[in-house]
Amino acid sequence: MTDARSNAPVRRKLSTKPHSVADRVFYGLARAAAYGAIVLVGLILVFLLLRSGQTFLQQGLNFILGSKWNGTLNPPVLQIGPMLWGSILIAICGVVLAVPMSIATAYFIEFMANKRVAQIATIVVDLLAAIPSIVIGLWGLQVFTPVAAHWAQLLNKGLGWLPIFGNETGNFRGSPFIAGWIVAVMIVPIITSVTREIFSQMDRDIINASLALGGSTATSFFRVILPTASGGIVGGVLLGLGRALGETVAIFFVLNLSFEINWVDVVSNRGGSVASVILSKFGEATTQEIGGLMAAGLVLFIITLLVNWIAAWIVNLAQPWRR
Amino acid sequence: MTDVRVSMDPGNLGPMPRPASEPWKAKNPRRSAKILLASTLPAIVAIAIGFFSKLDYAVIMMLVFLPLQIISSVAVGRNIYGKKGMADALLVVFTIFFATFVGVLLSSVIWSVISQGAHAMSLQFISQNNVYITPTTSLDYGGVGHAILGTVLIVGFTTLLTVPLGLLVAVYLTETRSKLRNTVRTLVQAMSGLPSVVAGLFIYSALIVQLHIHYGGWLGSLALLPLMLPTVARVAEEALRLVPQDLRNGALALGAPAYRAFLQVTLPAAKTGLITAVILGIARVIGETAPLILTVNNFNGTVIDLSQPMAALPTYIFQFIANSNDTSTSRAWGAALMVLILVAILFTAARLVGRDKRAAKRK
Repeated sequence: MTDARSNAPVRRKLSTKPHSVADRVFYGLARAAAYGAIVLVGLILVFLLLRSGQTFLQQGLNFILGSKWNGTLNPPVLQIGPMLWGSILIAICGVVLAVPMSIATAYFIEFMANKRVAQIATIVVDLLAAIPSIVIGLWGLQVFTPVAAHWAQLLNKGLGWLPIFGNETGNFRGSPFIAGWIVAVMIVPIITSVTREIFSQMDRDIINASLALGGSTATSFFRVILPTASGGIVGGVLLGLGRALGETVAIFFVLNLSFEINWVDVVSNRGGSVASVILSKFGEATTQEIGGLMAAGLVLFIITLLVNWIAAWIVNLAQPWRR
Repeated sequence: MTDVRVSMDPGNLGPMPRPASEPWKAKNPRRSAKILLASTLPAIVAIAIGFFSKLDYAVIMMLVFLPLQIISSVAVGRNIYGKKGMADALLVVFTIFFATFVGVLLSSVIWSVISQGAHAMSLQFISQNNVYITPTTSLDYGGVGHAILGTVLIVGFTTLLTVPLGLLVAVYLTETRSKLRNTVRTLVQAMSGLPSVVAGLFIYSALIVQLHIHYGGWLGSLALLPLMLPTVARVAEEALRLVPQDLRNGALALGAPAYRAFLQVTLPAAKTGLITAVILGIARVIGETAPLILTVNNFNGTVIDLSQPMAALPTYIFQFIANSNDTSTSRAWGAALMVLILVAILFTAARLVGRDKRAAKRK
């Protein structure tokens, strides 16, 4: 009989690190891809920064505050104040219109409709989130603009004494109001699907408890469902806001871009949008103007990046089951 | 172990039997009639007023129908359920009002695309190209064949580039235990908020202005990459995470190296989810317009060489949309219907793949 010790397998060194070449290649590829993604985002940021640096130095703070754009002067005057504010105004309009509609739709799907209707509505909402913006733009220009201009006219007639519904020109097309509706149509599916997800994962026991304690459906909704879901809803709204700020082609067709700043007159026919102005100006832009457009793109990217990060953070906080 | 509650319960009572009459299911005809009345009468009154007066439909909707509906619902709610029924009635009215509004808006989008697009649709429209077509040319000539081909080529090339990258990022996020995972995940999430026009601008200024590369389809593919990557990576990550950890551990415990455990166990288990990731990624970029306008010069002929300017469906719509001419807008609607059909096909495919998985699970 041989020594028992010699039959025992060779003592291995235990390690959690990959020890074969193939494993190292496998993990190396994954790591390379992940670093590649980081590099890509960094590259976009750095490149935009490099190309727009001259504009930032030349224009200073007036780049985002001023409201003149003339690339033929020497040095050129490139200021995007009205566009930046226009983007924000349109996004606010869109979110104000979209939030009640989305929460109502999500509540309807999750708590009111029967199972079959809810299933179909869910599929439809998810599909609508995938409608390309150019199709919404076409619909907005051909079908929706006349309707919304009519609504804007009625608002102006009935509530024109409010500063936000004033309009001197009598032309109601191409207003931030219409662009806001278009943006709302695009972000309703996004906010609805996030809100519905939150509603569906909610603990039914607390709702039933509220009802059992004598609360009505309305009090359960306002005192139990909304506060519990609020984090997720805010995250969804911010996701929609990010989309609304970066929206390009759909707004390009329905909005009348103007470098005259329009603070709150949502139904008058001048507005601005950073993304759309990039699209409309890049074709015949001089080299320096391209630098200015780059700078505009960079400002837009940084704003949407911030909004999206905050959104992702809030959504993650509100959905502990996804972690 | 015996149930503590049972032993502490002196009479050892069972649960109360359900009453056979099931009073909560009983229908109350008077109540149903009241609800029916409350939900139809305001609409009838509003339609009647609209018919006889010359008021605008929007005014009637907001100033006649909605207040009437609120009053009648609140009154019936109070009559049936007492004071707390009033708030419930308001909640129901507003939920249905807003949800209907969403339904009307979104079905208006779909219906206009289908009905207007059907005018242009014909075999020749989906097969011919756009050479010699002016804005006034009759719809009997020309079509979107070249644009469909261009979309397939550009998006196909994007898919070729993005899918391996996205899957590997997902592998990095699920299969490794690196400390950088959270950073990468946050960055990928942030990338999904990249405005499409900025992605196009990046490629335009980096490659076309800086390096003097000529406009071409492959530049469009590059511009679409950062837009598709986050979708693919995120959905693939979810799919890989659904694979039970025990399967991986089992393979590793049997002595498989990590890469074979992944290729032979994790990957087949997550196959359907990964296919869904690819399909959703394609659906995300198939309609992107701004990046293509900035990086691919439009071309009216049929091109299969990705280094040349070529047409794509979104840029085709962009080209015809601004013309107020009838045939031009018809062409734009036709192309929009084509895009919508492609998106619908992709979504159906994604659902079918997903369903297979569920069916397999039930067995």
